[in-house]
Amino acid sequence: MGAVRGCDIPEDLMYNVENNVWVRKESDGTATVGLTSYACSLAGTIVSFTPKKVGKTVKKDKSCTTVESGKWVGPAKTPVTGEVTETNDKVAANPGLINEDPYGEGWLIKLKPEDWDGEVGDLKTGSDALAAFEAKMEADGFGGC
Amino acid sequence: MSERDQKTLRVLDTGLRAAAENMAFNRALLECHQEGVSPHTLRFLQFEPCALVGFHQNVDQEINTEYCKEHGIAIQRRITGGGAIYFDSTQLGWELYLDKRFLGTADMGQIAARICNAAAAGIRTLGVDAQFRPRNDIEVEGRKISGTGGAFDGDSIMYQGTLLIEFDVEDMLRILRIPAEKLSNKAIESARDRVVNLATLLGERPDLDHVKDAIAKAFAEEFAVELAPSDLLPEEQESFEQALAEIDTEEWVYQRNRPATDAPMFESIFKSDGGLMRVGVALDPERKRLKQLWLTGDIFVKPARTIADLEAALRDTPQAEMEERVRAFFAERDVEMLQLAVDDFIAAIQSALAMAETEEPAG
Repeated sequence: MGAVRGCDIPEDLMYNVENNVWVRKESDGTATVGLTSYACSLAGTIVSFTPKKVGKTVKKDKSCTTVESGKWVGPAKTPVTGEVTETNDKVAANPGLINEDPYGEGWLIKLKPEDWDGEVGDLKTGSDALAAFEAKMEADGFGGC
Repeated sequence: MSERDQKTLRVLDTGLRAAAENMAFNRALLECHQEGVSPHTLRFLQFEPCALVGFHQNVDQEINTEYCKEHGIAIQRRITGGGAIYFDSTQLGWELYLDKRFLGTADMGQIAARICNAAAAGIRTLGVDAQFRPRNDIEVEGRKISGTGGAFDGDSIMYQGTLLIEFDVEDMLRILRIPAEKLSNKAIESARDRVVNLATLLGERPDLDHVKDAIAKAFAEEFAVELAPSDLLPEEQESFEQALAEIDTEEWVYQRNRPATDAPMFESIFKSDGGLMRVGVALDPERKRLKQLWLTGDIFVKPARTIADLEAALRDTPQAEMEERVRAFFAERDVEMLQLAVDDFIAAIQSALAMAETEEPAG
């Protein structure tokens, strides 16, 4: 698995680096969205999680979930537009799972992408993603996960 | 987006407002800042009497809604996290709209610490020994004088705090959904030991403009910026009106509301050699969490704040970790107890948790 400054960045996922989120197309055509390990490290332990409701359409780069850590509240922005098909019940019961396993059990929502091919062009993956995260961490003055 | 002036902090004073208006300003100004419209800003604000829940809280589980209705206290939802608070004109609100580039870090904990340390320095110039207490409080000799919290959107952050000017904690206790014994004279006195306001510390109500000036100067110094008092921009006013139309609604305030019965409370009385302990617990059965704990009783514990600290330390604790946290809590403190052991606290709390398995909720 790829890593940047100690933060895991799996090279097979697609990232919106600016918004610190990943997306993965599943075999059933849905896409899974989650926060990066870097986002988790900046935020600290996440204590609350409120996803948009199943059936609602969320637009690219708009909030699909609101998370709270410490006393900070903020949005997780979906990298692609689509209708929410599932939200993560395990995370609802234990929001700290996002920090523990951000690319696995700590995913946020699944959605049915509206225009996958049209929208993923500006997302980063593989070594491009690693380089973009290194640049972002540099700009953010980040020491490491 | 035009390049933002990194050397100037606009000072905005929106005066005494209804809760909904202040919440709408939060959303509008954070949005406008994120869009590059708003300059870096320090806002001062005051509230007509209101109960404010944290963004992720449920009104009916946190607030005594009947009491608020009877007393004309508005109920609103913040865009920031944390717990329910009472706000009225005896408190001053301050908040900053900045971005990560300006702050030189994206680490949320570091950002909060830096802002709180600067606010504490400003309060100190008024003549009280204010200090930042991680994670989110400013206190004077162990008594809280300011609570804080933040929200972010993209690279923009909004971080806000309260400053207690003449505040009385009893007003706060009455709006919260807590067991009646927490409102006994003794319990109110013990809560007063934990909170303090500027008027009490200074012996007189300080001039509000003087307080604002002290805080503004401290932020200007911390961030090496010039202060520039000015009004809302037309775009911000427009955004504020849009936000108000969404926020001044039951839909916003009572969103994802769950009935109070979903956070059942149980009470138990536990007898030990050290005296009688009355334990109240509010639970989140779905997440198997102890949401909140209340301990009262005929027991001797020194320092007196230990009980309140224990209640705070156990907020939102997974039930499975309760015992471990109680032991860790006492392990790192020097607490004097008459005939009372740490095991008694654990057994008392367990007895209340056990009621959840067998009894109907207490109210």
